[in-house]
Amino acid sequence: MQSMHSAGERTARGNLSGRTQGGWLHYFANPGRFARFTRPILPWLGAVSALLAVTGIVWGYAFAPADFQQGDAARIMYVHVPAAWVSMSGYAMLALCSFFSLVWRHPLADIAAEEIGPVGAGFTFVCLVSGALWGRPTWGTYWVWDARLTSVLILFFLYLGHIALVRGFESRERGYRAGAILALAGVVNLPIIVFSVQWWNTLHQGNSISFTGSSIYPSMLYPLLVSTLGFYLCFLTLVLARILAAIMERKTSSLLLASAERDA
Amino acid sequence: MIEHLNPWPFINGAYGISVLFLAATALLTWRRLRQATKRLAQIEAS
Amino acid sequence: MIKPKTRRLYMLSALLLGFGGATALALVGFSSSLTYFLSPRQVAAHAPPAGETFRLGGIVEAGTVQTTQTGESLTTRFDVTDGQAAVPVIYTGILPDLFGVGQGVVTIGALEPDGAFHAEEVLAKHGSTYMPRDVAQSLKDAGKWNPKFGPAPGPDALGSPS
Repeated sequence: MQSMHSAGERTARGNLSGRTQGGWLHYFANPGRFARFTRPILPWLGAVSALLAVTGIVWGYAFAPADFQQGDAARIMYVHVPAAWVSMSGYAMLALCSFFSLVWRHPLADIAAEEIGPVGAGFTFVCLVSGALWGRPTWGTYWVWDARLTSVLILFFLYLGHIALVRGFESRERGYRAGAILALAGVVNLPIIVFSVQWWNTLHQGNSISFTGSSIYPSMLYPLLVSTLGFYLCFLTLVLARILAAIMERKTSSLLLASAERDA
Repeated sequence: MIEHLNPWPFINGAYGISVLFLAATALLTWRRLRQATKRLAQIEAS
Repeated sequence: MIKPKTRRLYMLSALLLGFGGATALALVGFSSSLTYFLSPRQVAAHAPPAGETFRLGGIVEAGTVQTTQTGESLTTRFDVTDGQAAVPVIYTGILPDLFGVGQGVVTIGALEPDGAFHAEEVLAKHGSTYMPRDVAQSLKDAGKWNPKFGPAPGPDALGSPS
């Protein structure tokens, strides 16, 4: 058991945790080491993410063919679907970090969970809004309470709940614990989102892409895949940058605290 | 009677919110990272 | 002697399994209320009482769409089918863009004593197949159109985007 404060101090003084705790997992999950690995790759990752996202978005908006049935409205797919996938994968990452946090009490997992939350919530919001804007011209309504739409709205609320819970405690440690439990309990929502369109009648159409193939014509599938890769990399870059910033912020405050103690 | 809606305002809205979100979060994150780097460097130098 | 983190791992796994199982049971139990609409077959088997609002979903059957104008308002009659049963639907109002023969719809309304489903709202449900129009046209011309894609392109599909 260690408190966040001591974790911050350890990071500040150098990387002692690699020595005090064994295992390959801890080797890579050490905040100081994470910062040293991440900082040099971040600009490159950011550039590639931006390039892919812009390519996918422009391709989908202006160059992909209109759909035989939905016409141009189907273009919303190229932002809606990537946002939806990123929201769900982001939540899976949040849950994984929560699991590491609860079982191994690892400080980097706590920081990662805290920083994933707002980014994931943002992507979920984009998914919901773009979906509503897609629904109006095709279905004839912005919103219905079918199983797919409702379960994605629940995902959004899980993210919001996690954001509030992690930051809502006097003691950081307790906030992380509570947030992690919420995040893990919410994992049951992920298979519900994915399979809702198969298990129940929904207004939302079925999944176009599965492990066995896709029902999207290649000239529309390629921009979708590029856009998806772009969104995933954007998410990764944003989260890594936020974790890096959080590590430095903690280091700064622990150094400040140490110098205040010295002066006193 | 079938409603013929012009889909473009909806398409523009969906793309608009996506691009706005990505650009705004990127900007905010970059500023936070720069700020954190600067402050840490200041503290470590002193 | 069991290590604390191993104990936490087991406890958490047991907790998550229990929670997942409970959720699965609850979902199975409430499955019928999670279903957004009833199919014509379900309506034929146990029709909800007349006047009770529910959602009916299916495909607009070819050759059943009739439009009548009374004053300003347009009334559309069509049958919603799932291939096994069909329910006649009466709707007064504007239909969504995608509405057409062979197209999926979800209608909200109630069965009335005249035996028809009086819809207050008609929503279009589209498939999960996406392809360019020229590809759809050539598939149709080659006779390789799969009805599961949705209504085939062409002038017969009422309301298909031109």
